[in-house]
Amino acid sequence: MKFKRSLLLAAIIAVLSGSTAVSAQETTASTETPWLEGVTIGPKPTELSPVVPMKIYLENGEAIPATLTEDIPITLIADTVLFDENPPTHANGVEIPNPQWSRKPAISWFFIDWEKNKNTAASTTVDLAVNQMIVTPLNPTGKGAISCHAGRKMRYDSTEPGKTRGTFVNSSVARDVQVLDITPPLCGLEISVQDGKSGIFWVKENPPDKYPLPKLADVHLSGALVVESEPDKVITVSALELGQSMVVPAEQAAITVAADAILSIKVNGEDNYKLDNGKLKYGICNGAGGEPVPVSEVNMPEIKLADLKIPESPYLYIDASDVSGNRQVLYVPLKIK
Amino acid sequence: MKLGYKFWLIVAAFMVCGTVGPVMAQGTEAAADATAGTEAVEIPESTDMTLGAKDDKYVMPEGFRGKNTEEGDLQWLEDVGYLMQENSDLYNVDAAAIAEASKFTSEPNINWEVKKEDSEGNLVTETSDNTNKATNDSNITDPGYYQVHNGGARQVSTAGGAEGEETPDAAGGAETSTTETAEGAEGEGETKTVTAQQRIGIEVHDCTSPDVWVAFQEGAGSIDMAKSEEELKANMVSKIIENLGKPFSTDVKDYEEASYVFLEEGRDEERNSIPWEKTARLSIAGTLFNERGAPKFETGKLGSKIDQADYRNHVNVVGGEDKSLKGVYVRRNVPFIFAAISTDNGNKRATAGEVTAKIETADGEEVMKDGASYMFRVPNYPREQYQDQPEYFFTTVANDKDGNVTTIRMPLYVVDTSAAFEGGKNQ
Repeated sequence: MKFKRSLLLAAIIAVLSGSTAVSAQETTASTETPWLEGVTIGPKPTELSPVVPMKIYLENGEAIPATLTEDIPITLIADTVLFDENPPTHANGVEIPNPQWSRKPAISWFFIDWEKNKNTAASTTVDLAVNQMIVTPLNPTGKGAISCHAGRKMRYDSTEPGKTRGTFVNSSVARDVQVLDITPPLCGLEISVQDGKSGIFWVKENPPDKYPLPKLADVHLSGALVVESEPDKVITVSALELGQSMVVPAEQAAITVAADAILSIKVNGEDNYKLDNGKLKYGICNGAGGEPVPVSEVNMPEIKLADLKIPESPYLYIDASDVSGNRQVLYVPLKIK
Repeated sequence: MKLGYKFWLIVAAFMVCGTVGPVMAQGTEAAADATAGTEAVEIPESTDMTLGAKDDKYVMPEGFRGKNTEEGDLQWLEDVGYLMQENSDLYNVDAAAIAEASKFTSEPNINWEVKKEDSEGNLVTETSDNTNKATNDSNITDPGYYQVHNGGARQVSTAGGAEGEETPDAAGGAETSTTETAEGAEGEGETKTVTAQQRIGIEVHDCTSPDVWVAFQEGAGSIDMAKSEEELKANMVSKIIENLGKPFSTDVKDYEEASYVFLEEGRDEERNSIPWEKTARLSIAGTLFNERGAPKFETGKLGSKIDQADYRNHVNVVGGEDKSLKGVYVRRNVPFIFAAISTDNGNKRATAGEVTAKIETADGEEVMKDGASYMFRVPNYPREQYQDQPEYFFTTVANDKDGNVTTIRMPLYVVDTSAAFEGGKNQ
C-alpha cells in the first residue's frame, strides 16, 4: 500500500514537474522576447490587410550603394503600388472586391544603426514628391540599414450587401548599408600640476557634420593653467581644420606651467565611431605641425619638466586616430615660467 | 481503492505525456528546420504586422458622434492615453516563420509614429519614437484624424555563422556589403533587414470647450467707436492666437485701454487633462470689473461639466454679486463697445472666430447699440437704489465644431458718473 502511495505521489510530482517545465519554457520565451511584454495579439492580421512589395533606390534609378559615407546626403525614391491610382485588386491570391483608396499614402523613412539598435527618422524641408526622401547618414556604422515604411487606407466591398470596410495596405523594405567614417577624432588633454592648478583643452566639431571636407573644429581651453586669474574663462580658438595639423596659436592661448612642475596628463575626447587606442599618443613635443617630435616619453601620465631638456618651442600634443584611419594631431603651446 | 490508484496513475501518465509532447514536437520541428538549412532559402523583404489598442476601456464605439462606421477607424477621446500593441513574426524567438533555417541576428528595431492629417489630406508626422517595445502609450492631445504607425525591422540570416558575428570595422573603409556572408563563415546564405509595418486610423474627438476672450472698451469725446471696435477685434485676434488663448499679460498696466475677460483651458499644467477632469481658467483684467473702477488682474480655476454620453464639455461662467466675477461695470453716459472672439484646440488654436455676444435684459430682450456704441443714460447700480431700473446681463456663447460649449452670463451694471473710478483711459 505504501508502495502504491509512493507511486501515486511520484506520478503527481511528475505531472507537476511537467507543468513547471512548460511554464519555465514560457517564461524563458518571454525573457528572450522582452519587447513583447504585455502583448496579447497574434502576429497575423485576422482581417484583410494586404502587404505589397516596395523598392527603394537612388533618384537616378541606381541601387542604393552598400557603402555610404557619413554626412553625404542621398536622395531616395520609394516605388510601390501605394502611389498608384488604384489599390491592389488581389491579396494573397484572393480578389479584393471593388477596392478604392480612401486616404493619401503615409510614408516614413528611417536609418537604422544595427550596432546600437537605434533608428533615426529621416525628414527634410526640401520640397520633394511624397515618395522621395533625402537621407543623410550622420554617424558611421559597420552595420546599418535604410528602411522605408508606407501605408495607405483603402475601402472595399463588404460581404454584407451595400456595406464597405476600411483597411490599410502596407508596404515596407530595407536596404543594408554601412557608413564610412570621415571625421577625425575629437581629442584633447587635461593637465594638472602639484599645486592643484589645472588646464584643459577640448575639441568640438563646428559646424557639425560638415560636408564637403575639410571638417572644421573649435578648440576650447580653460583653467588656471590657461588664464590664472580667471580659471573659469573659456578661450575658443575657432575654425581650425580638423585633422593632422591643428595648431593653437601662442598669441591666442597656451598652457603655462612652472619650470619645475610635474604634469599629470589625462586624455579627453572621443571619436564619432571608434578610436584606435593603439595609435593614441600624447606628451610634449618640439614645435608644431607635421609629425610630432616628442621630447618626453610618449603616453606618460606624469611628466617631470625638470627631467626634460625643454626645447625652444615646447608644445603639448595629442595624436589620435580612429579605426577608419582618420587622424587628428593637436598642438597647444606650453609656456614655461 | 486499487482501481482508484490505477486510474490516477494512468491520468498522471497521460498528463506527463501531454505536457512533454508539445515540447518534444517543437524540438523535432526545430531539428527539421536545421536540416533544411542546407537548401538555399530566400529571405522575404517584409512580413505581416498586427496593430491595435490593448486598453480599450475608453475607445468609443463605432458611430460615436456620428462618425462613419464602415471606415474601421478607432474612435478616441483627446487627452486620454491609450495603450497600443503590435505583433509580428519578426518578434518571435526564432525566425522560422520568416524563412526556413534562418535566424535572427539582431533584436528587433521598433518605431512608433503618430501622423496627423492636415487640411489637404497629407499625413504629417507629429511624433516618432524608437522604443524597441511592442506596446506603447499613445496620448493624442489635439482632436483630428490621425494614423498611429508601427514600423518594425530585424536582421535575419540564413548564413550558418552569422549570429553574433563581428563586423570587422566595416565603417573603416571595407567596400563590401554587409549582406554578403564573410568567406569562411559556417555555411552560405544572406543576412538582411526584414521589415514589417501596420497603421491604424484614429478619429480623436474634441472634448475641450473653446477659449473665449471678451474685451470692453469705453470711449469718450470724438473717438470713432466703430473704428475702435474693429481695431479692438483685430488686436484680440492676433493676441489670442499668439498667446494660445492665455492672457497676454498679468500686468494691470497693460489693461488701461480695455478690460478683458479671459476664459481658457488654463496654464500649461492644467491643459490636456482627461476629458472628465477638465477645468477652465477665468481671468479678469482691467478697471471695469468692480464698482470702484480699480484696476486689477485676477485669475482662478473653475470646473467644466461633461456629458457622460458623448463626452462634450461645457464651461459655464455665471457672474453675480456673490461670485468671483461680479459683473461688468460701465459708466452712465459713457459710450462703450465690446468684442468677443474664441479659439479652439481643434486646430491647435491657429485661428480665431467670432462668438455670439450681447447685452440683454433679465427677460432676454437684447439691448441694441446707440449708434456705433452702447451707452446707458440711467444708472442701475447699486441695485437697491435703482430697483426700478432694468437689470442688464452680458452673455456670450461659443461653440466649437464638435459641440463643446463655453458660455458666460454676468450682470452689467451702469454706475453713476460720480462713482470714483480710479483707472481707465477716459477719466
